[in-house]
Amino acid sequence: MASSRDVRDMLGLGVGGDAQKTAVQKRPKPAAPTRKFQGVAREVAALYGERPPPVAVYEEKKSYRAKRQHAGLVRPWIQQPFSNPARSDGLILKHWRRKPTTQPAPTSGDDTPVVVDSNYEFAKYNVQVEVPTFTDNEYEAYLRSEDWSREETDYLLDMIKEYYYRWPIIADRYDWQPPPKPEPTDENGDTNVHALSALPFAPPKDRSIEDLKARFYEISAKLMKLRIPQEEMGAAEYARYDILTNFSPTTERHRKNLAIALMSRPMDEVKEEEFLLAELQRINMAANRLDSERIELRERLDAPMPNTQVAAGLTSFQSSQALQALIQQLYQQDRSKKRASGSGPPRLSLSANDIIGTPGSAQHSAALNSAASARRQTLPNAAANQATPQTPIRTLTPAQEHRFNVSTHDRLTSGVTFGSDKLLKMRQAKSNVQTQKIAAALAQLGIQELISIPTSRVGEVFERLVGKVGRLLDVRKVREKEEGECRVLEEMRRRKAEQGSAEGPKKNEISDSQDQSTDPNANMNAGVGGEGTPAGDADGEVDIDAEGEVDADGETDTRTQTPSEAAMPPAGHKRSASVLSQTSIQSSKRARR
Amino acid sequence: MSTPNPSAAPNPSEYAGDEVSAIVLDPGYSTTRAGFAGEDVPKSVVPSFYGVLDSGSGPRYVYGENAIHNPLAGLEIKNPWSSDGIVEDWEAASKVWEYAITSRLTGAKPTDPRKNGLNDPSGEDMDVDMEGLEDNEKPLSDSPLLMTEPGWNSAKAREKYIEIAMEEWGTPAFYLAKTGVLAAFAAGKASGLVIDIGASMTSVTPVLDGMVLKKGVQKSSLAGNFVSNQLRLIFEQSQPKIPLTPHYMVTSKTAVDAGAPAQAVYRQFATPPGDSFRRLEEERVLTEFKESVVEIWNGPPGQHRFSQNEDSARSLPGRPFEMPDGWNQVFGVERFKAAEGLFDAAAAFTDEQHPRPKEEQTIPKLIQAAISSVDADQRTMLQNHIVVTGGSSLLYKITDRLGAEINALFPSTRNKLHAPGQVVERKYAAWIGGSILASLGSFHQLWISKKEYEEHGVNIVEKRCK
Ligand SMILES: Nc1ncnc2c1ncn2[C@@H]1O[C@H](COP(=O)(O)OP(=O)(O)O)[C@@H](O)[C@H]1O
Ligand SMILES: [Mg+2]
Repeated sequence: MASSRDVRDMLGLGVGGDAQKTAVQKRPKPAAPTRKFQGVAREVAALYGERPPPVAVYEEKKSYRAKRQHAGLVRPWIQQPFSNPARSDGLILKHWRRKPTTQPAPTSGDDTPVVVDSNYEFAKYNVQVEVPTFTDNEYEAYLRSEDWSREETDYLLDMIKEYYYRWPIIADRYDWQPPPKPEPTDENGDTNVHALSALPFAPPKDRSIEDLKARFYEISAKLMKLRIPQEEMGAAEYARYDILTNFSPTTERHRKNLAIALMSRPMDEVKEEEFLLAELQRINMAANRLDSERIELRERLDAPMPNTQVAAGLTSFQSSQALQALIQQLYQQDRSKKRASGSGPPRLSLSANDIIGTPGSAQHSAALNSAASARRQTLPNAAANQATPQTPIRTLTPAQEHRFNVSTHDRLTSGVTFGSDKLLKMRQAKSNVQTQKIAAALAQLGIQELISIPTSRVGEVFERLVGKVGRLLDVRKVREKEEGECRVLEEMRRRKAEQGSAEGPKKNEISDSQDQSTDPNANMNAGVGGEGTPAGDADGEVDIDAEGEVDADGETDTRTQTPSEAAMPPAGHKRSASVLSQTSIQSSKRARR
Repeated sequence: MSTPNPSAAPNPSEYAGDEVSAIVLDPGYSTTRAGFAGEDVPKSVVPSFYGVLDSGSGPRYVYGENAIHNPLAGLEIKNPWSSDGIVEDWEAASKVWEYAITSRLTGAKPTDPRKNGLNDPSGEDMDVDMEGLEDNEKPLSDSPLLMTEPGWNSAKAREKYIEIAMEEWGTPAFYLAKTGVLAAFAAGKASGLVIDIGASMTSVTPVLDGMVLKKGVQKSSLAGNFVSNQLRLIFEQSQPKIPLTPHYMVTSKTAVDAGAPAQAVYRQFATPPGDSFRRLEEERVLTEFKESVVEIWNGPPGQHRFSQNEDSARSLPGRPFEMPDGWNQVFGVERFKAAEGLFDAAAAFTDEQHPRPKEEQTIPKLIQAAISSVDADQRTMLQNHIVVTGGSSLLYKITDRLGAEINALFPSTRNKLHAPGQVVERKYAAWIGGSILASLGSFHQLWISKKEYEEHGVNIVEKRCK
């Protein structure tokens, strides 16, 4: 805005009326009373630009609500008396209802008796639970218990029905008072006897929720077995029966104690557990890193000879050609075996799946497998070619190939490269030191810096040689390291022997150290297997806690999620973390039976 | 009619209630709440205090906000509730409650114009409806009544409730529900741990599926009245003493500096109202003080107690308060100390009449006791649904402190506090829960009808209202 004024200022021109005028002009003009489009979104209207279209597009719309349509007479409301079929006493309450239009218009209003509506829509929520019932004979025969009287059992069942299987509430309200025994007519009038007899025969027992459940489940299970023989039970019934019979109050109590202990951990323990868990994770990560480093080293040491025989190791099957050869070979073996064993089942089933299914991850093998079989069908390559020549093209024998210096390539890089360049590149390692070492080794072997005729075959041989040199250097390095370690251990052993010659499982220690030095695999296994040990060592107690947490969590979660669970007898398993696993265990059990 | 699956939820249209013009009555120590079921606030909130006037020919009783705050000569103020949260004076209680219902809800019943005889051409059938008329005199003759009771109510008291409702008020149907359960309902929960900090009682009630776990109910007297008494002690023990003059004593006042003695014209009475009247009026001033000045101390995590960081409280700005007579001052740390006794017995102010409360009466200990008396499987669920209600839970920042105390008690579980922000929902939670319950269609099968009462007598209440 001010730029023009600045320029004027700089040029020494006066800030005259000219500038004033422009300033006035720049002020936005009061917006012309533009016609607003109706029925078109503001954004769309903006698209019309300054000039509205010749034909205005808008629909006539009233903003008032449409007038209420009412047909016929006003339907009055009445206070409709109703009775509830869920009640037995015929209580009549009133609620407001539309006056039924079918009724003849009341002539004298008050005198017509109002009809009591007895079809109450909410009565259907009067749902009662089912509680097992039994006859006196059944009770005498099967259900008697040392600990429970018949009266108390009935009381328990009443409570269950009254409180809809809500065990915590049943246990809360459970208050069994044994009926007072009829006073024995004792002539002696001994006060002691009287005092005793005034007491109920057995003082009411303090029943815990587990005791109540145990008794009820026992009764239910026995009655269930009576009603449905075990063999005829369906899977669901059997599962329930199984749960009922397996309820153990002691495990349940134990589980609850564990849960309480877990819930009432002090702040310090919670924090400590968190800390330990973090620590454990850190240790695991370190262990994993160490393992992967070890594996890498091992692979480098054990790298198989290229194109050696099958037994060399799985790493040799990394190229599809090698895999193809392997499949072919095994297939051949299998066939010959089959022929030899005749009709007997093949000892070694041999589909391509099985061969490749063993090493590595399933996904990897599946991919390889499909690739391999696809190739076998469509693209017979060198190895397959030798076995089943399909093409009528004249093939060269190896001797001929050698002679004509024909070479086959999987893939050719575009462009021209010099053999000498290739050879030079091979001499170079990643690090300078390594390069120097390779050069020294080659010099020792008497190989000139410049090879006069670098044919491809020479290149190949040289490559192999350099590879060997590299491996040699690696081995040398490892040897030095091992020797150093041996020396240290040796020293340690010596010192230990000096300190306490009597005890000290020296042999063990040596074998240990050897183990460690020679077999990195074993070491790695120990690392993986013992991942929990650092934490466990630090504090065994907390470890148990952590375990318990998972357990209790699962428990309480299932409980809170399904309040109706209270109605279903829970299993007595301590570790009933998930219902799913439980049922699967049961079903497997059943299958075994 | 098909029996629905009990675990399947009813479809949305069936959630709807069914109102039968029931009345919900929620009597408390400080106020009695009454209103029609289905409404969202009680229409009638009257003080539970009542006045007794000695009018020569025996005592005269007055009820209601207007009457009890009128400084009449010799007016004594009483309360039907005992200090341990159970009704003591049934006669008076029934009158106060009846006043709560009739003053705003049912009103004095006009007789039916068709039947009152005034419109009859001749006076022949004047005495036809005499029994009906008598029945109509009872205040509740056509409204079912849902009453609330504290979780620790005695069996005798419960029988008294139904007796009053049936015999005195003539209600056609009655039900008695616990305040804890109803407060949980008002919060939209069927299960939870309800912390109710009222006027005379603080209670902690575990509720499971709409039923109270009786063994877990905890109560103590550290509530609103306790905080008021703490304030009185603070005023008395401060140097110089802080004068507590209720409004009715003051005719006019002039502004004075902070801490300066009041310059007011005090009202003179030939025969002043009784001491209990003055106490009630003082209580009003104290409630005002509690609302505007008192704050619950919240220290940094792990040291939420006031005693743990008293010094940092000193640096906080105070709050001014002016007494009705013009005396005024800025209150600094005192405002944090006034209610600290609810949480920390050692921090309570004491004198000869007011001994130190026991540690197990404090709110954290109540919560702990309530939780530990509940079965292990229910604890995490309860701790996850903690409902805070009661008028004194409106003390500034009390919910923060409750949260801190609960987290300190149960560090390893997830504890969740539900404290509605609306004042009405906090104060009248039990009534609102009752309003919801009594307007549910499926509830109407639970009423105790007059017929059942006549058949089984008062102890039917024990059987039905579980
Ligand atoms: N905003 C508030 N701040 C602090 N206390 C309050 C507030 N409002 C009410 N109170 C206190 O709450 C108590 C009344 O609570 P309430 O739950 O109605 O008790 P009750 O159920 O026993 O009648 C009184 O002691 C009153 O002083
Ligand atoms: Mg209350």
